Amino acid sequence: MAYFILKRLVQSVFVMLAVAFLAFSLFRFVGDPVSQMTGVETSIEDQERLREDLGLNDPFVVQFARFTGDLVRGDFGFSYRTRQPVAEMIADRIPATLELGVVALLISLIVGIPAGVYTALRPRGALTQTILLTTLVGVSIPTFVIGILLIFLFGVQLGWFPTFGRGGTVQIGGWESSLFTLDGWRAILLPAVTLGVYQLTLTMRLVRAEMMEVLRSDYIRFATARGVPYRSLYYRHALSNTMIPVITIIGLQFGGVIAFSIVTESVFQWPGMGLLFLESIRFVDIPVMGVYLVVIAFFFVLVNLIVDLLYVAIDPRLRIRDLA
Amino acid sequence: MWAFIKRSEPLWLFVHSPAAIIAAILALTIICGAAFAPWIALNNPYDLASFSLMDGLLPPVWQEGGRAPFWLGTDDQGRDMISSILYGARLSLMIGLAAMAIATVLGVGLGLAAGYIGGRFDAVVMRIADVQLALPAILTALLIDGIARGVLPTDVQQEFRVVVLTLAIALSLWVNFARTARASTFVEMNKDYVQAAMIQGQHPLRVMFIHILPNILGPLLVIMTVDLASAILLEATLSFLGIGLPADSPSLGTLIRIGMQFLLSGEWWILWVPSIFLVLLVVSINILGDFLRDVFNPRLR
Amino acid sequence: MGYTSTLRASVMGAALVAASVPASAETFRWASGTDPQTMDPHAVSSAPVLSFLNNIYEGLVRRDRDMSIEPSLATSWAPLDGENGWRFNLREGVTFQDGAAFTAEDVFFSYQRAASEASDVRSWFAPVSEVRVVDDFTIDFVTTAPNPLFPDSIANFMILDKGWAEANDAALPARDAENFATLNVNGTGAFTLGARDPGVRTTLVPHEGWWDTPEHNVTEGIFTPIGNAATGLAALLSGDIDFIQPIPLQDIAQVESREGFQVLEGIETRVIMFGFGHEHDRLLYSSDVTDANPFQDVRVRLAAAHAIDVDTMNRVIFRDKVDPASQLVPAGISGYSEANSARIPYDPDRARELLAEAGYPDGFSFGLKCTNDRYINDEAVCRAAASMFAAVGLNAELSTGPVRDYWPQLREDDFDMYLLGWSPGTFDMEHPIRFLKHSQDDERRLGSWNFGNFSNARVDELLPMIQQELDPAARQAMIDEVVAISQQEVAYIPLYVQPLIWAAKDNVDLTQRADNFFMLRWVTVN
Repeated sequence: MAYFILKRLVQSVFVMLAVAFLAFSLFRFVGDPVSQMTGVETSIEDQERLREDLGLNDPFVVQFARFTGDLVRGDFGFSYRTRQPVAEMIADRIPATLELGVVALLISLIVGIPAGVYTALRPRGALTQTILLTTLVGVSIPTFVIGILLIFLFGVQLGWFPTFGRGGTVQIGGWESSLFTLDGWRAILLPAVTLGVYQLTLTMRLVRAEMMEVLRSDYIRFATARGVPYRSLYYRHALSNTMIPVITIIGLQFGGVIAFSIVTESVFQWPGMGLLFLESIRFVDIPVMGVYLVVIAFFFVLVNLIVDLLYVAIDPRLRIRDLA
Repeated sequence: MWAFIKRSEPLWLFVHSPAAIIAAILALTIICGAAFAPWIALNNPYDLASFSLMDGLLPPVWQEGGRAPFWLGTDDQGRDMISSILYGARLSLMIGLAAMAIATVLGVGLGLAAGYIGGRFDAVVMRIADVQLALPAILTALLIDGIARGVLPTDVQQEFRVVVLTLAIALSLWVNFARTARASTFVEMNKDYVQAAMIQGQHPLRVMFIHILPNILGPLLVIMTVDLASAILLEATLSFLGIGLPADSPSLGTLIRIGMQFLLSGEWWILWVPSIFLVLLVVSINILGDFLRDVFNPRLR
Repeated sequence: MGYTSTLRASVMGAALVAASVPASAETFRWASGTDPQTMDPHAVSSAPVLSFLNNIYEGLVRRDRDMSIEPSLATSWAPLDGENGWRFNLREGVTFQDGAAFTAEDVFFSYQRAASEASDVRSWFAPVSEVRVVDDFTIDFVTTAPNPLFPDSIANFMILDKGWAEANDAALPARDAENFATLNVNGTGAFTLGARDPGVRTTLVPHEGWWDTPEHNVTEGIFTPIGNAATGLAALLSGDIDFIQPIPLQDIAQVESREGFQVLEGIETRVIMFGFGHEHDRLLYSSDVTDANPFQDVRVRLAAAHAIDVDTMNRVIFRDKVDPASQLVPAGISGYSEANSARIPYDPDRARELLAEAGYPDGFSFGLKCTNDRYINDEAVCRAAASMFAAVGLNAELSTGPVRDYWPQLREDDFDMYLLGWSPGTFDMEHPIRFLKHSQDDERRLGSWNFGNFSNARVDELLPMIQQELDPAARQAMIDEVVAISQQEVAYIPLYVQPLIWAAKDNVDLTQRADNFFMLRWVTVN
């Protein structure tokens, strides 16, 4: 087991390196940072000097070695746009993105699991058909359209929720949280729903499918025959059996939620990493883009590692295969 | 006789599923409209001389100021909405189908091989999959776009935008196929018939494609439909973020992005006509996907 | 409508009770598309930075509501006797926000800082040969040649405190890493920094010891960058912010139709135009003419100009909010040539004739490059223009992209025709002549944005004369000549002057200045 974990850790490092490499190579083509850093009246000579100072004239290999070398030493460099340390900028934005992702995930579970159970138990009901169709339409509308619609309905027309930003935040240690004020919760609700719609549908369908499968399995049939009450049957036996695959998939999806928050953050001006990344693309802020990608990759790798370990713990067959 | 019944079972199910019938009719209509766009459409959004700014911002005919033949109005460039949508759907479907096809071939091939060969090869493929997963679709698109900019001479870049976008979407979708194919292969490999075939010394490719692949076709088909839908949505999202297609070769996503500017200005049709159309298309594909899932997984019925 | 607004009002009431901090009348919240990248007034010469920092820092002179120059930290100025340059008499009794006194040493220090290699605004001081501190409140700027517009050209040159900058290791602007002045300020202006969270929120509070009499009643200004236009508008309409600059043209009607909001419409000084690859020997993006560049023929350029129907563009794309342009600055800017105020008219038949005369009766294809995120509706303008060009046989292969890789493409001559917007930094016609019409001359830093290298010996000859001429009438005559030449030669196709649309709540009084700078000191919340 220890060997397996070690092996996966080594592999994870390679994944991160590969992402860093890809991330770095793409920035060379995004645009010219210098023309974004200077004003219209700056002379070509001054621009050239700045380019030299930033090391942009060095060969690709030298630039990449410097980038990864600095990363490994924990030096994330300085933003071209704001001239601030990148590590600080990203660290400032992580809480906003993580909280948004977690709340979106919670919403998708709180709504998705009961909806999945219901639709599994009443597969022919009118409500089931309505739920299935509504969620299908929900995932068929692009996220950005949903976001803007929610803003205009609940923010502008009804005035229930703020239209942008995080609302009231509280500083807890180094973590700026919006989950401890009413204001913060009002602010997070719309973006979290926007981000969670897709997950919600996914969760619901997964729970429904697993639930239907379990309900047909022999031991549930025996239990029915033994006279176990339906309520206990559905919730204690059937539902708990569906949870392992559901949690696994949801875990895997969390990385995707974080990455897809780019769109949501842009629509709601949510001050998270995704928004920072989009701004960085606009200004060709290479250091910020690079570190953002590596941080995202880290989240993915971490989640994948945990999921893999879970698999191994659950399914002995996989353990043997992977160790062989 | 038995084979006939088995083959026609999906048909029987289909005839008895009104949702699937409606979805199929919708999808077919849209696909036909898109395919025959050059013959149906009033003007061609690619041909700048076929429309005029003078016809710009006309509302649908039932609203005051609307006039035939612009039944659903025109956009800010004077392009007929119906024509734009037909051409847009054509482009979106082309990108979606091509991306899905590439992703399927790539993903299934790698997944089958990884599951079958196992060991180091499996580890490498799955690590590549991890890297791919670690780069969200949006970032993959940026990457591919960036490489294309670096490699292709500037005068052909514009023409390759569609190819680049398709590749980007395909690359962000193949992992699903690979993972499913690999997992199913593991399961199938332990079954007696596959074990038997392997012991008989059949060629691995034969085992993979003749024995294993047909058994995992069901789930793959389901993923394909779902991914077709998400490819179309992804293209829309990328266009919204400004890394999709330019406005002069409008896909449904680009049309929606342009329409977003008119969300509040009163010209609602520029946003809502393509949006509703996109939703109809994606929903019908998704319903068909659901239907296929039910067909291939009878226990869910 | 009535029902919705009643509902909204009651819900808003409930929301206000729920919110922890009730909005005080003098807290002013505003938003704009871009966050100022730095608080350092010399590090980046971009409009968002200069605009924002003008609330905190001040220059020797400043611009009034109508863009005219008025005294600020200098009370008066006059040309030097016996040599080229200007003497500035400084205001006494001015204190920085940390309490330090303002003297000529601070001006000298700021000059050195702004003219240093690490500064992005050093081009303002290219004509300066020497700066002399005469006494605590007098300072001389010596220039290499007569420079009547020098005081105007340094309206955005902001003065910071020498002692503060040196004590905090910020004697030079930060180039590749941050320094103290990136996040902290110490100016003499009406406001000082309350809190700064880059990209999220920046607050300004009044500077109690400001030398001028405040006209505003703002006790706290909160700025939020909102990149997405629809989100920004929603924020205004929902009451989350008091003011936003700019809003999309097409949303004007929406704001005006709602009670409690106002739209401020003006025109910017930015002229949008098409440029040609004058010196290119052949077209890069043509499918039919690959061995020549038809645009070198003035008849072809004129045909292109005749093909553009600016009035239809204005009506459909800009909802009649733009002014068609005949030259590279709008009317009202100093140096505007009244004598040449007629545009080349829309005349597709004449365009076809001209093309036939030039040997292209069936037209030809070429590449048109445009931005899609730089100017208002830039992409739509180019699509419309491409379709108008196509109507006379000029088949434009349109390619649009973000501005981040647009300038490098233009610098590498990778275009046949391109879109450009130009705002005269000095608010004088000399500025576009220097940057866009003079032949490219890297050494003397002239024509640096003249991508197609339009080159005319007479224009090159006139520029230095215009720069040094003190007599306004003689100067205008020379400018008129340059404008006439560029119109005859069709150096550019000027299209229109970009509009400036701001939106605010009804209870706010503010001033919209033509340079799109927002001055918090002119805000009154009623």
